Amino acid sequence: MSDRSKFPPVIDGKAQFDLDSGKYIKVWQGPQHPGVTGNMALELIISGDEVIDLTTHVGYLHRGFEKLMERRRYIQCFPIVCRICVPEPDTNEYLLAAAAEELAGIEIPEKAKWLRTLTLELSRLASFLMWIGGQSGAFGMGTVAQWAIAQRDFILDLFEELSGGRVYHMYIVPGGVRDDLPSGWDKHLEDVLVKTEKMLKEIEIVMFNNVIFKMRAQNLGIITPDMVDKFGIVGPNARAAGLARDLRKDEPYLIYDKLDFQVITRDFSDAYNRTYLRWQEMWQSIGLIRQIMAGMPAGNDYHYNLPNVLNWKIPHGETYVKAESTRGEYGFYMVSDGSGYPRRVYVRGPSYTHAMALLPHLAVNVNIADMAGLMVSLHTYPPEIER
Amino acid sequence: MQEILNKLIDRYAIEPIQENRHNQAFVTIEKNRLPDVLTWLRDYEDYTHLAFITAVDYPEIEKIQLTYMLHNYILHTDLGLRVLLDRTRPEMVSIHHLWKQVATYQRELREMFGIDFPGSPGLQENFALEGWKDIPPMRRDFDTKEYSEKTYFPRPGRQTHDPKEYMKEKLYPSAKEDK
Amino acid sequence: MKLKDYLSPFYVWKRAFDKPFTTRKPLEDRPGAPRYRGFHQNDMEKCIGCGSCEVICQNAAIDLVPVDGIETTRKDSGLRPKIDYGRCCWCALCVDICTTGSLKMSNEYIWIDSDPEVFRFVPGASEKPWKNTEAGYSQHENYTLLNLDRIDMPMLTPEDSRKSFIETVKGYSKEEAMKEAQRCVECGLCVATCPAHMDIPDYIRAIRDDNLDEALRLLYDTNPMPATCGRICTHLCEDVCSIGVKGEPLAIRWLKRYIVDQIDDTRFKAILRDEFKPNGKKVAIIGAGPGGLSAAYYLVTAGYSVTIYEASDLAGGMIRYGVPEYRMPYDQLDQDINYIKELGVEIILNNRIGKDTLFSDLYNNYDALFFSTGLNDPYKMAIDGESLPGVFSGLQILDDVTKGIKPDIGKSVAVIGGGNVAMDAARTALRLGAESTLIYRRREEDMPADTEEIHEAHAEKVKFITQAIPLRIEKTANGKLKFIWNNAEMVAKEGAARPSPIAIEGDIQSLEVDAVISAIGQGADYSFLPPEYESKIKFKRGKVIINENCQTTVPKIFAGGDIANPTADAISAIADGHNAAKGIDKFLNKK
Repeated sequence: MSDRSKFPPVIDGKAQFDLDSGKYIKVWQGPQHPGVTGNMALELIISGDEVIDLTTHVGYLHRGFEKLMERRRYIQCFPIVCRICVPEPDTNEYLLAAAAEELAGIEIPEKAKWLRTLTLELSRLASFLMWIGGQSGAFGMGTVAQWAIAQRDFILDLFEELSGGRVYHMYIVPGGVRDDLPSGWDKHLEDVLVKTEKMLKEIEIVMFNNVIFKMRAQNLGIITPDMVDKFGIVGPNARAAGLARDLRKDEPYLIYDKLDFQVITRDFSDAYNRTYLRWQEMWQSIGLIRQIMAGMPAGNDYHYNLPNVLNWKIPHGETYVKAESTRGEYGFYMVSDGSGYPRRVYVRGPSYTHAMALLPHLAVNVNIADMAGLMVSLHTYPPEIER
Repeated sequence: MQEILNKLIDRYAIEPIQENRHNQAFVTIEKNRLPDVLTWLRDYEDYTHLAFITAVDYPEIEKIQLTYMLHNYILHTDLGLRVLLDRTRPEMVSIHHLWKQVATYQRELREMFGIDFPGSPGLQENFALEGWKDIPPMRRDFDTKEYSEKTYFPRPGRQTHDPKEYMKEKLYPSAKEDK
Repeated sequence: MKLKDYLSPFYVWKRAFDKPFTTRKPLEDRPGAPRYRGFHQNDMEKCIGCGSCEVICQNAAIDLVPVDGIETTRKDSGLRPKIDYGRCCWCALCVDICTTGSLKMSNEYIWIDSDPEVFRFVPGASEKPWKNTEAGYSQHENYTLLNLDRIDMPMLTPEDSRKSFIETVKGYSKEEAMKEAQRCVECGLCVATCPAHMDIPDYIRAIRDDNLDEALRLLYDTNPMPATCGRICTHLCEDVCSIGVKGEPLAIRWLKRYIVDQIDDTRFKAILRDEFKPNGKKVAIIGAGPGGLSAAYYLVTAGYSVTIYEASDLAGGMIRYGVPEYRMPYDQLDQDINYIKELGVEIILNNRIGKDTLFSDLYNNYDALFFSTGLNDPYKMAIDGESLPGVFSGLQILDDVTKGIKPDIGKSVAVIGGGNVAMDAARTALRLGAESTLIYRRREEDMPADTEEIHEAHAEKVKFITQAIPLRIEKTANGKLKFIWNNAEMVAKEGAARPSPIAIEGDIQSLEVDAVISAIGQGADYSFLPPEYESKIKFKRGKVIINENCQTTVPKIFAGGDIANPTADAISAIADGHNAAKGIDKFLNKK
């Protein structure tokens, strides 16, 4: 843990330093900075090359999705929500649909559940690939970044074939999904999975057995188990600290109760172990995708015929639905007032606490050169903070 | 789920309760009791995880509802605590001492809904909006369309037609003056 | 740290000789996937300009605009979507909601131009490289955002319905009506086709919102006989319903009926709030059919004192005497009429103009006249044996049954004709205990009767003989009638809209029945008009010529209904009545 003795005292969560003393420098990292994912700014106070205080600033990407949804019909919200998270839009699509379906009392066809799970796992894999690109890049390993981003593009090709869109798939629609698997898609998928596996193996050699990565990432940004609930930490960040919490296992949604997998944990949550855990979860996703493809039901009933969506009203009620995204618990809190427009949709992004509360805490005493690596190791996406 | 609800009823005489599904329920709590209830739930009933705090605006009843979503990792149950605030001067007891991320939530709610949380650190700092002068944007009476028309310029040259009116004009214009 | 950790990063050097993980994508000629959501395509012939795409577009990227070469017709607004690609988010909801399936997206995604204006265009109207591309996102069978299937109407089974005059159609329950109303996309295409231009999307919305009082007010805005029209309207609106392009059209007629069914008629006055000040002017109306009643309603609510002269002993005209009770229960018709009477309209029954009252008296004593006397003179078949006993007209049978007289039709009848009167006569004969056979000159698809009527006649086991040209009726030795016809083939003539039946030489058939009912149409009877007026009013092919205000060539005389309009149905008569009321108002206030 950080030794704060040589740093200014902290009162009310704020370091008491005097910028005019000449001992400190204020440095802005972001909102445009190669080491910052998305548009987020880190206001750093440094002493020498060590960070003594950090404030996270968001607002560079505020598009007001929650507000925009209030004046759109339920079906019209669905092209909006995917934009809350670029690397993993499907979680948003699924949760919007799931919340609306729960409030409307709609049970979707079995096949739709399988197809939804498939896209969720595939987008997990794509999101992790994009993230490992960022993580390796933050420590100067550009080669791995190129491999991973290229591999993600092949998954986007699969999404394009499946849904018609590369980044924003708009595939999971309230009531089910929009289309069946295209013919020949399973072969393309298997090709990509095999290639990804090969790449993941090589990533292990060059990244996790790399002395530079080890020295920089180990003991960086340690999350102790007792911090987890205090900060509201979820997902891989919490699992690396030894807490076996995974919504797919704990509160199985869709068809996760029919799939065979174990929650992956590690016993020490530093940047190295969090990275390693996510790398393991990529293998897990590949395994799950194969299981889903093997068990995919036949037939073409994948969409429940909703009441004419232009006049679709959802009964009064409120609900909170959640799913395990790559960053952890992702949730939609939806309130319906009985009209055709949602009264309120609140999007709970896991990055909210990770970036706004946890990162300033972990940043103290970190070398400024490791800041980017630390931030990426928490896997934060600004759009889900400010929605 | 029923067990914790019964306890809440016994200890705090809380009504009404809305049970959504077997592992999720919402209860409405009196404003000043909330810190007490939250502390008890966190420390004695394993509702250790605060998923989020958010607000819902109900201008028609002059209330703003705050929702605190708690989660129990042992039972895997969600408990939503609702508090109704007066809409004209919404003020709520700050609970930033209970969870580290709360201060940010309260900062956001101050900015987006205009809810005051006296004593919450950094409450007056900007969250996402810098130099915002208008009414809190997440209030229902803030009209995004009006705002965007006022702030930005619409692209000229767009004009649409209503099929019903257009057909009237084309097919039976004589009936026009009567409506 | 182990030695391995120092060495393993050099592993990447090995990759210099491997196939790289990254590949170069040939961007120039990489087509989008077969489902790619690229630039829009629109089949201009298929599109009907309903505007559902505009409504569902959450980015407000779509405008409906007129396009050169696209005419506005009853089934097509003549408008086409114009897409602003500065706003489009490629979500394809417009494709999903398209009522015709004309809108599609191609897999083309590369288009570069320095002029921003070109990125706003009407797909399908201008030549674009992707205009005929097959690949791209389009609708498919197992996923639709519309509800294409109509909510089934509860009905008596044909076995039960043919036994009595109880109303066949039971009417929607609240739940069913709400569900059916939900199917509407509010395009408003139907309004132009409805002769009365009723605010159909608006009253359907009122049903959805469960605001039936408002719905009733909307009905009476354009139609003072909703209980009647909710049952026997020819529902031309349903023929142009945009949902009907891919699925079953909305049951607009039955939704109208639902509104009236749900509201107690004692509440009508309170809901409709019809308030008016008498203006001291008097209007006489001849004929208490739908046209006359409609004119009376709109005149009385405009402050006129209205008197209707009716030759029969009850008001309602052809709706009462020409429509059987199982389709139009008399108490429902009375409900419509009673409300009009309640407002102060005087109906003088059993008063035939020309016999009981003189037309010239009306002309001189009233400020304006409106006549809507209907078509009640059955056409003759002009064949031998037509005057034999046992040969009836369809109208006579229906009229007798209404009046409680049981016509002597025996155990089997042949009904000649293919219109609604023929169907009504055939089905009425069933209910009187006879077997009905329907004989028609052309094919079944040429029949002018409503499809539902034909369908229900089939269900009730009316026998159909088509392509049969009547030759003569003979009396047989056992006192029966022998109806003889010549089988025909359909021959398409050049320039003719539909093929005509031509007799096949020698192919003569016959059927022995107890009675023959002729229902091949009817004409108007103008005998109430004295010659000096008849000579001034202009006629064309037996129909009165009127202007858009329903005014005849004699300024003070207005006319409407079956004697004036080509469609000759209740809703057109109601529309004429409304127009005449407005015309009379204009005419009298100009003076």
